[in-house]
Amino acid sequence: MNVIETVELTKKYGQFVANDRISIAIPQGQITAIVGENGAGKTTLMNMFYGLLRPTSGTLIVKGQEVQFSSPLEAIGLGLGMVHQHFKLVPSLTVFENIVLGAEINRELRLFNRLKVKSPLIDGKREREAVQALIDSHKLDLDADEPVKNLSIGEKQRVEILKMLYRSADILIFDEPTSSLTPQEVDELLVSFNELKKQGKTIIFITHKLREVMAASDQVIVLKRGRVVGSMPTSATSPEEIARLMVGRDVLLTVEKEETADLESQPVLYEVRNLATEVAPGVKFPRGISFAIRAGEILGIAGVEGNGQSELVKVLSGLMEAVEGTVLLEGQDITNKWPDELRRAGVGIIPEDRYAQGLCGEMSVTDNLVSGRLDQKGFCRCGLLRREAINRYRDELVAKYDIRLADADCKAGELSGGNAQKVIIAREFDAEPKVLIACQPTRGVDIGSIEFIHNRILEFKRKGRAVLLVSSELSEVMSLSDRILVMYKGEIVGEVDGRTARSEEIGLLMAGITSKQPVPTGGDRA
Amino acid sequence: MNMLHSILYDLVYHSTPLILAVLGGLFAYQANVLNIGLEGMMLMGAFSSSLFVLLTGSLWQGILLSILCTLALGLVFSLFSVTLKSNFIITGFGINLFASAFSSFILKYMRLANINVSLVVDVPALKIHIPVLADIPILGSLLSGHTPITYLSLLLILVVHVVLYKTKLGVYVRVVGENEEAARAVGINSAKIKYLAILIGALFCALAGANLSTERMALFTSNMTAGRGFIAIAAIYCGKAVPVRTTLYAVLFGLAKSLAINLGLVAGPISGLFETVPYLAIVLVLFAVSAVETKNTRLRGFGHE
Amino acid sequence: MKRKMHLMSLLNVVIPVAAALAVGALVILAIGEDPLYTYKILIQRSLFTYRGFLKTLHFASPLILTGLAIAITFKANVFNMGVEGQAVLGAFFAGVVGFTVKGLAPGWHVLLCLLTGVVTGLLFALIPALLKAYFKVDEMVVTLMLNYVVMEVVKFLSQGVFRDPASGYVSTYAVAESAMFKKLFDTDLTAFFFLALGVFLVMLVVFMRSKLGYEITAIGRNPEFAEAAGMRVSRKIVIIMLISGAISGLAGAGFLMSEKYRFTLDFSGNPGLGWDGMLIALLGNHNPVGILIAAILYAALKTGSEYIGLFTSVPKDIVGVIQSVIILFLSVRFLAAHTALWERLQSLFTALRTARTSTGQRTDTP
Repeated sequence: MNVIETVELTKKYGQFVANDRISIAIPQGQITAIVGENGAGKTTLMNMFYGLLRPTSGTLIVKGQEVQFSSPLEAIGLGLGMVHQHFKLVPSLTVFENIVLGAEINRELRLFNRLKVKSPLIDGKREREAVQALIDSHKLDLDADEPVKNLSIGEKQRVEILKMLYRSADILIFDEPTSSLTPQEVDELLVSFNELKKQGKTIIFITHKLREVMAASDQVIVLKRGRVVGSMPTSATSPEEIARLMVGRDVLLTVEKEETADLESQPVLYEVRNLATEVAPGVKFPRGISFAIRAGEILGIAGVEGNGQSELVKVLSGLMEAVEGTVLLEGQDITNKWPDELRRAGVGIIPEDRYAQGLCGEMSVTDNLVSGRLDQKGFCRCGLLRREAINRYRDELVAKYDIRLADADCKAGELSGGNAQKVIIAREFDAEPKVLIACQPTRGVDIGSIEFIHNRILEFKRKGRAVLLVSSELSEVMSLSDRILVMYKGEIVGEVDGRTARSEEIGLLMAGITSKQPVPTGGDRA
Repeated sequence: MNMLHSILYDLVYHSTPLILAVLGGLFAYQANVLNIGLEGMMLMGAFSSSLFVLLTGSLWQGILLSILCTLALGLVFSLFSVTLKSNFIITGFGINLFASAFSSFILKYMRLANINVSLVVDVPALKIHIPVLADIPILGSLLSGHTPITYLSLLLILVVHVVLYKTKLGVYVRVVGENEEAARAVGINSAKIKYLAILIGALFCALAGANLSTERMALFTSNMTAGRGFIAIAAIYCGKAVPVRTTLYAVLFGLAKSLAINLGLVAGPISGLFETVPYLAIVLVLFAVSAVETKNTRLRGFGHE
Repeated sequence: MKRKMHLMSLLNVVIPVAAALAVGALVILAIGEDPLYTYKILIQRSLFTYRGFLKTLHFASPLILTGLAIAITFKANVFNMGVEGQAVLGAFFAGVVGFTVKGLAPGWHVLLCLLTGVVTGLLFALIPALLKAYFKVDEMVVTLMLNYVVMEVVKFLSQGVFRDPASGYVSTYAVAESAMFKKLFDTDLTAFFFLALGVFLVMLVVFMRSKLGYEITAIGRNPEFAEAAGMRVSRKIVIIMLISGAISGLAGAGFLMSEKYRFTLDFSGNPGLGWDGMLIALLGNHNPVGILIAAILYAALKTGSEYIGLFTSVPKDIVGVIQSVIILFLSVRFLAAHTALWERLQSLFTALRTARTSTGQRTDTP
């Protein structure tokens, strides 16, 4: 029995087709994986299943009836539940308040010992008890009274799952559920998928990680640019085939890492000593950060998001003030310098959030390419911009970095993730910095561009510069870095050799499990 | 002693419209739709209540019609800012200017310098004197001798607190403001909640305006709100839209006004400058609140909302 | 692509103005007057006669300046609501210098007064500028509050120290002749208009081709990006506010010296030079050329409204009503393809169509 069926389901935004005549079937009681590159249309499709988006055309059939959801309430009523990639929880409310959100229980008043009247006030006690009962029955280990903002990512995910179970959902949709988990937590999640499947639930999960697809799913559906390009039982396919379907050509799944010449003899280019900043008065997070990067070295920082990496990068980019510690570039103190000073000193930055910090979406690509560099290369004279020089520069960079533009003047926000990232890379690389800080450089980027970006980073390293790579994609960190530091709860808890480390080892460190030995900081100087 | 009595009485007198405006306005702030149009809505409340009292000859009919009128204005604001997704700061200003221009227009059309309804509304008779409370030496002037809407506003402080924290509506308003996506993902109609938040504000502003013009003075003059709506917004900022805290800020600003007027009586010609005290007080309070926040953050630059 | 954008921008202005005129027409009808006649007087007297047109340009002068003052800050997402107060304060102190300083040659006196206005406006804008840039205090509320402070202060000063006992209503002394802008060609036009035009040209260059203009756009669109790119946003915000204050002060000073000559309590008019400036900046989409055109059209409304009172019994405030409705409609960008609204309308149409076919009725194309 198919619990969901779609017939030519389509979603258009003006001219842009996000989902193109999709016809698939989700069998009941099984785990289905929906795979595709970033931008393939997976989330759009799931949002239509869940009633958050209305289809432009086509039919959606849930449990045998044709439906047209006008809001998630209707989808919930039919047993659908969804855990989004970015959790939809309210930080200031407690666990149970988040779980019953939208389905609160009102207090009842007894009138004359006979009539039960619903009062407009909420009955917090009954809600908490109901939720606690659910937590206990599923053995999910949560404190119903804890405010959600204090929970870890794994715990938050469990709250989201409980939200679905509270509403008796039996079709559970997960959108990129493992993007912020340690390898161990990923395994635990896949185990709980099986548990839920045993209870008769149907599971759909979106991912771009092929290992999880092979390990957990019964069926795979591959989307590419809004269309279904493959739908088969997992047992009948392989990661290579799926990757080929996703991209349309053979893909190199790992980067060739070359042997780097003796690093120990190279000079230290970029050094950080005991760096700390505060996220609240008196709360130092991250703290005690120390490392050194030699010329020609890529230092990777691994760790689950939210363990201080963002704050560290912000401090190193001049966007946050350090309260302790120093930063040295070629021996010169650049602690707490502002972004323009850092650029002049030779620091290149690929920021974590390209749309918030790296680009101005509403300005043209041309203007973005020269941002922060207007006092160089004759772009500006007496405070006035020289358009010809700027345009020539843009043409140069577009060719050199293979940036695909619809027309020369289009806005940065109209570019695909990969192209937008290339604009930032073009801008930063072309300034010939001495050290590059790359934060989540390939997040949300198509596979072709990922290859390009990784190759550029390696080329940069080969020129004898230093690279700090901060990424929550463990495979990326492992394939590119010479050394890897792991951050947990704002501190560096371990260092491993980039060439020989295994993901289990790093995974333990990411979860905060360290050996008793003191943690060596990189680049020990005699 | 008379001065003290006067200051305390005026404290309640001047705080009431502010308290009502902040209680209503904080719903919109909690739902993340800042209602800049509070000034215009209060002015519309003041204008329409006097106008309708004049036209109908009855106090309660006048106030009722005025509430409907102000709700209509609030509906316009909601339509533009929620459904049409406008820049609500500019929409709010449009509402304010509209209320001001429209009231002046009608006044000129009716060839009146102001609307005087003292024939219908007997101001002294409206004041409620509570026998026992009135006799308490100092607090007496705080507690007794005020208009019905004034007492209503004190009651509403409690009501708003309960609604915001203990009912579904309050929870939904706060959730829509804190994380609209989370609200929509569980099926809450965030647009409807925002409309309700704005309309509650409009309702309270109608009462505030009615208190300001009809109840207290039986008079409406052009632009008589004189920035009270913006003072309310400042109080909401400072109190972070938490009902009791915000009301305290509103009372603080009311105190500044009361002091300004009363001390001005003895100070002579400089009294004009005393009028600036409430506005300067707000700037100082905003500065103090923001300075503390800024000191505590290590983030540089703007854009971190 | 660019032509489509320009067309959309144009329609984004035309639709609100048309809608506001329609609402105004309704109001005029409601009080029993003829809207077409009223509008005809409004436009004819102000734009299509020689004297009327020059009078319009004359009134447009301060508005061009306040419009630019608003635009430069709004474009950076800084809401300087204090343009009104800065203009009034600038005008007041320019006036003081105008009637207290004696014995200067006309050219120098005018220059001195204008400079006073500029510096006053600039210094007054410094307060909210520093508060916003370094303490993140919301500039909108602060500038609004300071407006009211300015009103009280100038009221106090013009009733007291600087009062002209010879005048029947509250007013300061008139500025000396050497501080007045001379009327040209026996019309209302003065050199102030050309000064305003000059400032317009400078701002045009700044907005379109200067580094500062680039930074203003970046800060307005994405302040986090601007900071990450090294633009030192705090410093720039102060600079932007100071320029805005300076231009506002100039607007007020020039208006005093070319039209009013003495400071009275209704100096700024109704609703005020600053608020008119806001409408003009919005109409002009914060673009200098748009502001120039909008200022002239708006001044035409103002000029024309003087005549409405003479020829009809429609109160002048109808212009204020129209103005506020324009602002309301301008706050929504109708043709930025409101896809949500459009989609809903479309699905409503398809629903209606399928409903009609399913009940067996003829499906006429509407």
